[in-house]
Amino acid sequence: MTFPIRLIFFLCIAGGLFYGTSPALAHNGFPMMGQDTTKLSKQDTASEYQDLDEVVVVDQAAMVKREISNSVALVRQDFIRENRGGSLMKSLERVPGISTIGIGSGASKPLIRGLGFNQVMVVENGVKHEGQQWGADHGLEVDQYAAEQVMIIKGPASFKYGSDAIAGVIDIRDKLPPAEEGVGGSVELGGRSNNGWIGGSANVTARKDNWFVEGRFTLADYGDFNVPVDSVFVYDFGVALHQGDVRNTAGRELDFSGRIGYLGKHFRNALTVSRVRTRSGFFANAHGLEPRQVDAAVHDRSSRDILLPYQEVTHTKVINRASYAAGKQFIQLDLAYQRNDRKEWSQYVNHGYMPPLYPAEMPYPSSQERAFDKHVFSLNLKDEWFLDKHQIMLGASGEYQDNTIGGWGFLIPAFQQYSYGVFAIEKFSVSPLWKLTAALRYDHSRIHVEAYQDWFPSVEHADQAAPSDYLYRSSDFRRDFDSFVWSVGVNFLPGDLSLKGNLGTSFRMPIAKELAANGVNYHYFRYEKGNPDLDPERSLQLDVEAELKKENWQVAFSPFLNYFSNYIYLNPTAELDILYGAGNQVFNYTQAEVLRYGAEFNAVYRFTPQWSAELIGEYVYSEQQSGAKRGYTLPFSPPPSGIVNITYQPLGTESFFSPYFAVDLRATARQANIVPPEKVTEGYQLVHLRAGAKVKVFQQPIQADLQVQNLLNTRYLNHTSFYRLISLPEAGRNISLSLKYEF
Amino acid sequence: MKKNWYILLMALLFSACGDGEKPVIDTEYPEIIVTDSSFPLQCSVLERGSTVQFRALFRDNVELGGFSVDIHHNFDHHTHSTEVNDCEEEPVKAPVNPMLFIQTYQIPSGLNEYEGTAEIDIPEDIDPGDYHFMIRVTDQEGWQTIQGLSIKIE
Repeated sequence: MTFPIRLIFFLCIAGGLFYGTSPALAHNGFPMMGQDTTKLSKQDTASEYQDLDEVVVVDQAAMVKREISNSVALVRQDFIRENRGGSLMKSLERVPGISTIGIGSGASKPLIRGLGFNQVMVVENGVKHEGQQWGADHGLEVDQYAAEQVMIIKGPASFKYGSDAIAGVIDIRDKLPPAEEGVGGSVELGGRSNNGWIGGSANVTARKDNWFVEGRFTLADYGDFNVPVDSVFVYDFGVALHQGDVRNTAGRELDFSGRIGYLGKHFRNALTVSRVRTRSGFFANAHGLEPRQVDAAVHDRSSRDILLPYQEVTHTKVINRASYAAGKQFIQLDLAYQRNDRKEWSQYVNHGYMPPLYPAEMPYPSSQERAFDKHVFSLNLKDEWFLDKHQIMLGASGEYQDNTIGGWGFLIPAFQQYSYGVFAIEKFSVSPLWKLTAALRYDHSRIHVEAYQDWFPSVEHADQAAPSDYLYRSSDFRRDFDSFVWSVGVNFLPGDLSLKGNLGTSFRMPIAKELAANGVNYHYFRYEKGNPDLDPERSLQLDVEAELKKENWQVAFSPFLNYFSNYIYLNPTAELDILYGAGNQVFNYTQAEVLRYGAEFNAVYRFTPQWSAELIGEYVYSEQQSGAKRGYTLPFSPPPSGIVNITYQPLGTESFFSPYFAVDLRATARQANIVPPEKVTEGYQLVHLRAGAKVKVFQQPIQADLQVQNLLNTRYLNHTSFYRLISLPEAGRNISLSLKYEF
Repeated sequence: MKKNWYILLMALLFSACGDGEKPVIDTEYPEIIVTDSSFPLQCSVLERGSTVQFRALFRDNVELGGFSVDIHHNFDHHTHSTEVNDCEEEPVKAPVNPMLFIQTYQIPSGLNEYEGTAEIDIPEDIDPGDYHFMIRVTDQEGWQTIQGLSIKIE
């Protein structure tokens, strides 16, 4: 990329600020997307920006943050590249307030300030990503190479995004359309030593007049991940690991996406089709928490093969975004279809009352434990007006989803669900220093849960079974939910200081699992019982953020205070159930009042143009205020943690430019604030190294990034890891290298 | 909404003055204690056509909840055993009429130590071979401890 193009590109990232001639005008939508703005849609070449100094542009990006009253973190591709992990969320873990629930090396779910699952909404290219409701043991089906920018809202954002945005939003954006005529693209290749990960991504873009096309292809193949121990104990059951490899955690990923678009003077349209396909093994010696005997000789023959148990997920998306800009108005319509097709394969084990031999007449193969197939149609419409001191956004959204199930194991019934919502957001620039934001939203949703009957009788002698011994795990029912939320925010921007505050309510409709689960999750030895009477989860949160920027240093502090009137969670009880639970412990979905508070802290000091230091800290406290677990925390509470960083950026040379060397010392405290069935997790310290530069090879610049994660090969347990309960340590030392070439 | 505000205000005060009044929480798992009279033990052998006396001592730091017993075949060696020493196992075989036993039991309220007992009939006509004997015990707070024993029925 030549300098001016890169400049325009940065401008686009910083875009959303530009409307007319008032660069300070905030855009409440997606401030990182130039596409959203009327200015850029009218002025595609953006030649007038070419003279701008790059420093100014960077400041614009920072200004985006100052314009939103919520606590947000903006992450760009270069951050993801320099911190690349096995999955997108792992790559974002360094962001203060973000942690992950990891499973294996290729998948992880986001936790924002300690909340995750359905309390965090993931949005990809403007459309809510659907697919993560099923359980803790799978990740996010997103191609991390395609993610160009990520905006993380660390707080309730239901007023704009709807249900599920109760704890925060991870808003992922693909690359912007090419600004110049011609053909371009990039190739990225990478390797990771710990699990023998090899992979890469290639993309090509082309633009002619008002039309553009884009294609991307991503491939990854990895082996079992490696831990710095030679045995682990699943409960007390000792498992010897072959050379420290976590048996059968290998995986593969194959993604592609294509886009075609038209960029007119007023009208723009882009159609994107993408597919993410993964196949990944589960640790063979423990399916969930259930110890499994394995044929070690078969498993240890190769660290790259995927044997039972494993999962396969294919996520397909078709998104069409159309926008029209006229005068002071901007209208945008998103239409989307997505399908999440997930299958879990595992040997048949006759748990509970299941017959000892798998019946031949079953419609599924004996190795198909579970299957979930989700089809989602969604629509988002927004209409924005940019007036003198006011910016008004009116929006509506609708969604329909159909979910079917399969396999011999039952956890959640099939269901259909529709929802719609309307919202209005007003941004008022009182003065150049003061900005106010207010928002209102109404949502309605209906869920229809289908009945499910066991295929086996729950009696000790199957030959004496009566029809009533074939238990109904779920009855057919419908529920309607209504929700009304509001939010008010203020930004105060005196010079170098940025102060913001936001108070708002948020909501989340209960999901099928919470309403209707009625089966034994044998991998956790628990009988999960839904509660069809649950209310929509509601939360009230106060966010404050202060940021001070000086020439050589900057500090930011963002505390929050959050109250849930009815936090929905799976409560372990003292009961053991014989009929429905086959002797397992009863876990009830229940709601309780919850109080949470915490803060993130970030400080950067630049000693010289070459040397700088950074300090990052995060803390969350949660406490249940009512119900059976009064006084307890919430599951997966991240312990306090911090990072001390030193970065050295020497002057480059002609063929070796923008070099950097960075060392991160990460310290994580002990987590003794636990809730059944968790265990106290000891603190740990890790050292990570990062280095990189743009190197000229045959006159072509290649960006090279090297990382050494867990330099000292420390054995540690991560409190928010899926495998924590069986005390499986996290990955040992990992050296990863990635190369990127842009043309 | 009024209540929400009040709680938020209270929360602010509390977070400013420290932890305030917090209920004492129990973070300890109940225990299954092996005593001289415990039965079965790892690698115990049960006889078909007999009645065996299950006996295990449960203990908790606060208050016990309930317990359950589950006997199922392990002819495929799927391993639920949580004991370290492995017993000698018979070759893998297909089940024909394996024994299945699942039962839950109450523990009288207010106890932090209890000896669980149960009489279990081992039918005459079941498949002999390797079995798992699972004992689950909970406490009032929902902590659960599982002991999986490998046993043999002859």
